[in-house]
Amino acid sequence: MDKRGYLRRFLKNKPAAAGGGFILFIGLIILLTPLIAPYSYEEQCLEDQYQGPSPHHWMGTDSKGRDLITRVMYGGRISLAVGLAGTAVSLLIGVTYGSVAGFLGGKIDNTMMRIVDTLYGLPFMFLVILLMTVVGRSIYVLFIALGAVQWLTMARIVRGQIIMLKEREFVEAARALGASKPRIIIHHLIPNILGPVVVYATLTVPAVMLEEAFLSFLGLGVQPPASSWGSLAADGMTVISPVKTYWWLVVFPGATLATTLFSLNFLGDGLRDALEPHSNY
Amino acid sequence: MFKVFLPLILVPVIACTAITLTTHRCQRAEITYVSGPEPETLDPALLTGALEGRIVAALFEGLTQYHPKDLSPTPGIAREWRVSEDGLVYTFFLRESCWSNEEPLTAHDFVYSWKRTLLPETAADYAYQLYYIKNARAFNEGKIEDFSQVGVCALDDYTLEVELERPTAFFLDLTSFPTLLPVDRKCIERYGEDWTKPGNMVSNGPFRLVEWRINDKLRMVKNPYYWDADQVRLQSVAALSIESINTGFNLYETGGADYLFGLPLPIVQVLKGRNDFHTDIYLATYFYRFNVTRKPFDDPRVRKAFAMAIDKGEIVNYVTRGGEVPAKTLVPPGMPHYQPPLGVPFDPEEARRLLAEAGYPAGKGFPKVELLFNTSEANKDIAEVVQQMWKKHLGVEVTLVNQEWKVFLSTVKNLDYQIARGNWIGDYVDPNTFLDMFVTEGGNNRTGWSNPRYDHLIEMAASEIVTRKRMDIFQEAEKILVEDELPILPIYYHVSFNIYRPYVKGVYPNILNVHPWKYMWIEREES
Repeated sequence: MDKRGYLRRFLKNKPAAAGGGFILFIGLIILLTPLIAPYSYEEQCLEDQYQGPSPHHWMGTDSKGRDLITRVMYGGRISLAVGLAGTAVSLLIGVTYGSVAGFLGGKIDNTMMRIVDTLYGLPFMFLVILLMTVVGRSIYVLFIALGAVQWLTMARIVRGQIIMLKEREFVEAARALGASKPRIIIHHLIPNILGPVVVYATLTVPAVMLEEAFLSFLGLGVQPPASSWGSLAADGMTVISPVKTYWWLVVFPGATLATTLFSLNFLGDGLRDALEPHSNY
Repeated sequence: MFKVFLPLILVPVIACTAITLTTHRCQRAEITYVSGPEPETLDPALLTGALEGRIVAALFEGLTQYHPKDLSPTPGIAREWRVSEDGLVYTFFLRESCWSNEEPLTAHDFVYSWKRTLLPETAADYAYQLYYIKNARAFNEGKIEDFSQVGVCALDDYTLEVELERPTAFFLDLTSFPTLLPVDRKCIERYGEDWTKPGNMVSNGPFRLVEWRINDKLRMVKNPYYWDADQVRLQSVAALSIESINTGFNLYETGGADYLFGLPLPIVQVLKGRNDFHTDIYLATYFYRFNVTRKPFDDPRVRKAFAMAIDKGEIVNYVTRGGEVPAKTLVPPGMPHYQPPLGVPFDPEEARRLLAEAGYPAGKGFPKVELLFNTSEANKDIAEVVQQMWKKHLGVEVTLVNQEWKVFLSTVKNLDYQIARGNWIGDYVDPNTFLDMFVTEGGNNRTGWSNPRYDHLIEMAASEIVTRKRMDIFQEAEKILVEDELPILPIYYHVSFNIYRPYVKGVYPNILNVHPWKYMWIEREES
């Protein structure tokens, strides 16, 4: 099927198309944030604290009088950056690991996959928290830590695909021509498994973002005055009480996070249906 | 296969659930209060925090106890006492009372307890509360090994004689303080560090400890062997360990707790009109400590610059919002006869000048600085505002670090910080309770700061009898602390918040915010 066929099938899937559109929209806003943000994300103006949504502050202001929409925009940069960087790390590890295991097969494969099984059994959030405490709380540690716990499923998928492909004729041909093992993996196998890898990567982004939100919610993620959607929601939680609720501080960051995660998941599903009509993992 | 497996799995699961349900289902305590983070310790000699002190005050009783209304020392385990004319020798006549295991409590128990607190290997941070006793300091510092030289001695089983270094006006306030509470020798020798666990702990106060679940709750029930048990009307008190004050408040609002000692800052305004909201002046100060042993805060100019760059008025008006007062000194207002020094004003220009003079013009080249606080919404809110003020006025970037209560305490003790949040509640009504902690190597100093002149003044004040002169000496000492050297940065004076249900009776307002459970009772209107 040609490329336009993929596109048509993808666009026919309404939630996926809407999700993709929303992600594009968010992406655009986030790219342009420094230009279009109405206020500074860290400048406090205590006189204006706890103002509800108004024409001046579309999403209201927080306890320090900072404009919430600005903080949501900047928070999105961090949340998405964490999502993308974490996914990139998981791709790098997962694809390498999975393709080596799948291609070499036998005892090596067996050992490598049993290691993956063991790691699956570990409480991964605990590992991330441990890593953050030992190495220190920086955004880069967060990228690596989250990616480092997300590669397991990727490795399994890649291994399965590689095993399926490695007995095919074009691999046989490459081998007959004297190509080395790394060359076969990199030039012949990996390009052919891109479909499922892309699909799964799209689904990893929201997973990593959610984990970052979770960590920030616990106070372990990004540190103030920087914000991510998770830390904004956590801040919002502190002003919910039975007697007084500044609702906008929870609703806007929470809704943005939820919509983005939904969109990414729809997008991932749509891509899978479009690229891999026969698979259902 | 399943037929065999299913019962094998199900039976233990059901059994476990049943055991959990039956053992953990106990009747609710008469008063449940939100205590704060998990207590660091319940050892009276070792504790330093207010929340631990509140629990221990219910479990133990000293020679004297606070009068619930005016805080004056009233007879506790000591039935009466005599003070020699020169004010140096106190003779306490103890009543015949017993521990919670019915063993008699004697004057020897006090000698043992105070010796234990003073032993260098106990490493009690608060040991200096006993330094007013003759030779106690020398013993604590290891200069004398023989405890019989220390001025504490049991004349017989029920007479305790205490000889002081010099006349100390507030000594009878100290005898009700946690550090000076009696502990049971047999219990400690038998269980070692585990003696504070429920089941092991032997105490002598109105209540005894029956349950302590980590990060959940402590449960105390009335001690039938307490000498004044007839006065104790509450049968049980539960202290919930909840770090988040919002969770605590939600629990209170939904009926899960009857008493709160603090409030989430954003709702103080809203609660002000309610009949269960009680606020009062409070002998307590919120401040930041500088670690003066490390660069860049080894330079007083840097510390002063940081102090001058904070607009404390903004913090109390927009962050704490409960009627707190901006602080320029450590000693809060309300100390009788005491005229505090002026402290340093909010002056960003002067702050920048000082910072430039110290070698960091406009904050250039300033090292990475961390501001440490124990995890709580209020601490974070204040820290974020302060962080921004330092950035705006000094051009210095400060990162915020929060730690769980126990970790935080040990980090600060080990001087493993740069700036740390501090809080001090007066132990008695005298400037000394605030000022004596910053003497060289003081157990609660925790800044590494040392100033011979300051040490000398605090010592001078201790031996001065004329109140007027004594207060002048304190003023001079505090001037060094908050105007010249600034190892600490006072931020505001607290007000106390007590939120309790109308059926909780017997709570009396006072400036130390001491509310003994002993005098409280529950009175529900018949409906």
